[in-house]
Parts: sequence; structure tokens; C-alpha cells
Amino acid sequence: MFRRILIENWQTTLTLVSFAIFGVVFISVLIRTMLAPREQIQKIANLPLEEDNE
Amino acid sequence: MSTATMGEKVTITYNDKIVRRFMGASLIWGIVGMLVGVVIALQLAFWKLNFDTPWLTFGRLRPLHTNAVIFAFVGNMMFAGIYYSTQRLVKARLASDFLSGLHFWGWQLIILSAAITLPLGLTRGKEYAELIWPINIAVALIWVVFAINFFWTLAKRNEPTLYVAIWFYIATIITVAMLYIVNHLSIPTSLIHSYPIFGGVQDGLVQWWYGHNAVAIFLTTPILGIMYYFLPKAAGRPVYSYRLSIVHFWSLVFIYIWAGPHHLLNTSLPNWLQSLGMIFSLMLWAPSWGGMLNGLLTLRGAWDKLRTDPVIKFFAAGVTFYGMATFEGPLLAIKSVNALSHYTDWTIGHVHSGALGWNGFMAAGMFYWLAPRLYGRKLYSESMANMHFWIGTIGILFYVAAMWVTGIMQGLMLSETKEGGTVLTYTFIQTVNAILPLYHLRALGGLMFMVGMVMCAYNIWMTARGTKPADATAEVFVEKVEAKLGLGRGIFNAPVLTCLGIVVFSTTWAALPGIWTGLSILGLIATVALGLMHKEFNNQSWSDWHQALLGASLPFSTLVLVAAVIGGVVQILPTVIVNRADNLEGVRQIPYTGLELAGRDIYVREGCYNCHSQQIRTLVGDVLRYGDPSRIGESIYDHPYQWGSKRSGPDLAREGDGPNKKTNDWHYRHMLNPRDLSDGSIMPNYPWLETNLTDLNALPRKIEVQKMLGVPMKGGTPDEIKAAALAQAGEIVADLKNARIDVKPDRELVALIAYLQKLGKSEIIAPQSPAAPEAKTAAK
Repeated sequence: MFRRILIENWQTTLTLVSFAIFGVVFISVLIRTMLAPREQIQKIANLPLEEDNE
Repeated sequence: MSTATMGEKVTITYNDKIVRRFMGASLIWGIVGMLVGVVIALQLAFWKLNFDTPWLTFGRLRPLHTNAVIFAFVGNMMFAGIYYSTQRLVKARLASDFLSGLHFWGWQLIILSAAITLPLGLTRGKEYAELIWPINIAVALIWVVFAINFFWTLAKRNEPTLYVAIWFYIATIITVAMLYIVNHLSIPTSLIHSYPIFGGVQDGLVQWWYGHNAVAIFLTTPILGIMYYFLPKAAGRPVYSYRLSIVHFWSLVFIYIWAGPHHLLNTSLPNWLQSLGMIFSLMLWAPSWGGMLNGLLTLRGAWDKLRTDPVIKFFAAGVTFYGMATFEGPLLAIKSVNALSHYTDWTIGHVHSGALGWNGFMAAGMFYWLAPRLYGRKLYSESMANMHFWIGTIGILFYVAAMWVTGIMQGLMLSETKEGGTVLTYTFIQTVNAILPLYHLRALGGLMFMVGMVMCAYNIWMTARGTKPADATAEVFVEKVEAKLGLGRGIFNAPVLTCLGIVVFSTTWAALPGIWTGLSILGLIATVALGLMHKEFNNQSWSDWHQALLGASLPFSTLVLVAAVIGGVVQILPTVIVNRADNLEGVRQIPYTGLELAGRDIYVREGCYNCHSQQIRTLVGDVLRYGDPSRIGESIYDHPYQWGSKRSGPDLAREGDGPNKKTNDWHYRHMLNPRDLSDGSIMPNYPWLETNLTDLNALPRKIEVQKMLGVPMKGGTPDEIKAAALAQAGEIVADLKNARIDVKPDRELVALIAYLQKLGKSEIIAPQSPAAPEAKTAAK
């Protein structure tokens, strides 16, 4: 019984850990992306279309 | 951290030769892989097509099909796309022609080795990870060559900013290396055989952490990078929303790595891992559909091209199939839906809608776009390309529809009960015979798709024939980067440390009791407050850091690695630490004897896991058919685990124990001709097992390795081990003699019977009882 509590059940908190990590990562990326300068975003988005003389 | 720039015009000659080579290899191996796919589809419909020949049986050819399509067809296509687009996106030639050539020839040699060894039955017995250990090492080395060549090119680049496609490529290189190495950790017993270091549930978890991400990271992320480059090129307009592509990238890279346990739902895998796998899979809906919509909306204003341009046709259909497959994937990861779909052909249909629709069509679109540019000549036949599109589309629909119907029908039949839920309505073989007609339709669909691919190869061959292709050049205005963000300043700075603090304190808040909860909340508040204050006073530095990160491959790659590692660490480490034999309660597997181990290796060699599972799920249909649900302890000593992922035949977890136990002579006759005992069976005959000699000389080393892995097998001198194996074989032979079967004890079939009769045998262990002394000794 003690083994179950001490060794096994602590793992259930890992699901909470997962969501904490994901939440922080996702919100940080979202905020940063939304705040990125429009000109820079447009410049990067056009990189594949820059001309070459193939 | 600041980046000053100065302009300069330079002429760049791209290395397109390597792109042409990889494209050609992808087409050739693609046709080979699909041909093998059609053959094994026909083998399921017509068992005689196994030809009673070892190297032509389904169990050995299926791994050849999956490996050829994943690593040879998509692998070569991916390298072609990555090398072509990276050079243009970073405005630099590939760093080393030698490394590019080594990468190409090394990869082809690996594929050739796989094509020879897999039909010979040389396998590790884990899906998509079957290749033997010397080839594993070659794969790792060639992957390192690829990584060096790629990152060296980034280091030499003339474009400071890294376009989002490059991010996807970076994630692919880093994550595939990590997954491949961990899942292939093995201890060799000979030059051609090894045992994985993980066993039972640990091996299952590691396998699907790898296996799921073979799909996610090998078949999806690099192709998304290719989509973000080639789709704007084909449509002549930038991606619909670059911001969305950034969110798509980070969400996908972060979430995908957690979703592996959804392949083990309703099994004896710990419940918290099943929940984690299911919920993260559901979360994948959002980024996947964000990516699909971003791809499709990139075509806004260019839809008129859909009527005439085969490239746009393939890309539009490919991205749509991506959306459909990534909708279906999370759906199948819901525990209750999975109860119906798992182990049936529904999963096979799902995989093929992704592999044929997403990978196959994106490859075709890319090849048709590349060929005229790589060979300096118009595509040989646009109508043939259009024909390819339609024959391929109809082929996919036939294939996928057939698999949906067979999967759902068989799943429902297998779980249908009567007499108040106490008796099963159908036997397993009845369900197989019910779906058999649809296997013909599946084979036809696969054949049509392959014919389309042959047309593609012919079209490109005719485009290339007679040309003298030259490497493209480009004059580009480049921005020389004078100062880049270093690793230290890229990682150890206020934004990253603030995020880290929030994660740590949120976790300790959730996990720790008493006063630690209060302290964690205080810590969390303090971290957020300090972060906000720092940002308030140093807003420019936060902004600069993020902008600089977009152009700094080293810290960027490190953050990607961290995102990928976290999922693996949280899921796998606790399982490896806790779920061991000496922590078990309830039941524990009785270790194999030498002969049973030899029989197990024959079972693995013949690829029996491709049709038979060894895991009774916690579902009524499974329990009524096979007995009590499997428990972790029952396979704890299995290196490799053999839970399987598909049931073309019944589960074998308790084949040697309980109500489904058969006699020795039943197994003997069944292996020689399954239809003698199970009318309508689609299983091949295995006549060579009656004549092949069991490799008893290999047993001492194999047992030594098993003991090194913690399995408490009985050892002894080589002579003692062989004598014990022959003694056990003698008992089986004597029993067979009673049934008028005359066989020598050193034959493979005897060893295989010994193994099958051991399946499901376990011992009851009292709660908190110490592990068997022998087990503890072995573990030490």
C-alpha cells in the first residue's frame, strides 16, 4: 500500500506538469507572435518568393 | 544581441545535383515500397500468395513495405525538398558537396540493406524500428552527416532570418535523432541480432513515443516545411498568415511528442499516461487544422489554377488529406472510439489517408514543380500528370473507404455479445471472413495509386531524358550578419527564465503538499511580478531577444530540443523507474526457458506481431474472447514487447494458459496448414519451421544478455543450456508422438510450440513481497 502511494501515485501530478508547461509555452508564443512587427512578418513571409534566375 | 547589417550582391550556384538524385531515388523506392504494399494487400485477400516461402510471407514483407515507404520514399523526397528549399531560403549553396554525396549514397545503402535483411527475417521486432543494430548505427551516422551539412549551411547563410520552413526542418533533424537513438538502444547478441534494453510496458511506451513520432516528425513536420516553401511558390503568393505558421510550428512541435500513449489505450499502460496521450492528441486538432487552413488559404486568388495546374491540384488535395488525417487521428485517440478502432483496419485506413494523400500527393506536387526547374525543360506531359492525380485520388478513396468499412465492421462484430452480454456473437474467423471481400477493393485502390506513381516516374524520366542539367545560379542581395545571438544569451535571459520560473512554481504548487503549496504560489506571483517589472524597464531587450532568436539557429535549435525532450522525460522516466519487476503487485511473468526464448526469437523473426497482439484490453469483447485483462507484470520480461498494433489474427497473450490453450499437436498442425484447424484462416503456412534447425548455439549469449537486462533466466554453461533446451524439446516431441507426429527435438517448430505454450504463464505475488531473489540478483 505504501509503495503504491509513495512510488506510483506521484506520477498523476505529471499530467498537471504537462499542462502547466504547455500553457506557458503556448501563451508566450502566441503573445510574442501577435506582437511581432508587421513589416518584419511580411518580409519573412515573402522569402520563398524572392526572385532567382533559375 | 543587436544585428547590424550591410548590403552586398553575390552570385550563388546551388547544389541541385543532390536534389535530382534524391528525387530520382524517392521515385524508384516509392514504386518498390508501393509494389510490396500491393503484394501484402493481396496476400491478406489470397493467402496462397505467400507461396509457402519464408522471404515472401506477409510477416516479413510488411516491415519491408512500411520501412520502404517511410524511410525510402518519404525520406528521399524529404531530403530533396529540404536541400532545394534551404539553399534558396538561406541564399547559400549547401555547405559541403562531399557530405551531400555521403548523405545520399549512405542513405541508399541503408535502404538496400533493409531491403535485403527484412525479407531474411533479420529484425528487432518493433514496428518501424525493425532494422538490425548495425544498420541502426549507420542510420544514426548518416543522420549526423545530414545534420552537419544542414547546420553548416545555416552557419554560412546570407539571409539573416530563418523562414518558418527552416524551423520545421530543424525540429525534424533534432527530434528524429533523439527518438531514433532512444528507441534503438539495444544490446547485441551477435552481428545480426540484439535485444532492446527496455522491456514490457517500458518498451511499449518508448516504442510508441518513437512510433507515433515517426509519423509526426518524419512524415509530417518536414513535409509541412516543404508545404510552407513550395505552396507559396506554386501559388505565386506568400503564405496566408505567417503569424499562424509560427503558432502552428511551436504548438505542433510541443504537443506531438506527448501523444504517443494513444497507441496503447485500454491496455495495461498506467492510466495517467493513457489520459495524457488522449488529451494531448485532442489538443493536436487545433494546430493541425491551423496549418491546413493556412495552406489552403494560401491558394486564395489562385483557385483558378486548380483546373489546369497539376502541381496546385496535388498540393490542394495533399493539404486537404493532411486536414482529414489529422482530424481522424485525434478522433481515434479518444478512448471510447479507440476501443472500437484499435487493432482493426480502421487504423490502417487512417495511416494510408495520411501516407498516400498527404505524403504521396505532396511528393508528387513537389516533383512536378521541381522537374522542369531542375532539368530546364517543360514537363513532358501535363495530361499524364493530371491523369496521375485522378487515378491516385480514386485509388486513395477505394483504399481508405474499404479500410473504414472493414475496421468498423470487424470492431463491432468482435465486441458484439448475446445472452445478456455473456456470450460472444461471432468467432474471430467469422469476422475475418466477413471483411475479406473488402480486402480486394483495398488491393485495387493500392494498385491504382501505384500505377499513378509509375506514371509520375515515367513523366519525370521523359522530362529529364536527353537534358544536360546544370546547377541553378542566383544573384541575390544579401545581408551580412555582423553579430548573432549566442547560445548563452539566447537561452539565459529574462523571457526564458521567467517562463521557466512559472513552469516550476506551477508544478510545485500542483504537486507538493502543505507549506510548499503556499510557498509555490508566492514564488509564482513573485516570478510573474519580476518578469513584468523587467519587461517594463527593459522592453527593448525582450523585443530584441525574440527578433534575434528568429535569426539564430543555435539557441533556436536548443529551445526546440528542450520542447521535444520535456515530453519524453515526463512520460518515459517515471515508467522506466517505477514499472519494474521488483515493484510489481499482483502477477509477474514467469521468465522463459532457453528453448522458449529461442521459440520467441523465431516468432519475432517471422513477424507474427504484424497480425497477432499480446495484450488483452479492459473491454468486454477482449475479456470474453481472451480472458482477464492483461496486467503490466505479465510481459515485464519481454524484450522486445510484443503487444502489437493490429489483429489480422486473434490475440495470443494467454495462448498457453487458460481457456484458449491448445495442445502441442494442434499448434504443430496449425503452423503447417492453419486451414486444417481453422477453416477460412488467412494465415500463411510455415513448412520450413519443420525442417529448420533451432539455433541452440546462440542461446548462451542470448541468455547472458537477457540476464544483463534484468530478466531472471536460468543460466549455466553452454552445454547445460543446450542440454536443458533439448530436454524440454524432448518432452514436446514425446507428446507429439502420442498424436502420431514424428519430429526431431532440434527443429524450430518445436521451439516455437514451447514459446506459444508459455504465453500467459505468470505467478501470483503477494502485495509488498520482495522480488524473487534471483530477479534481484540479476537486476544488480
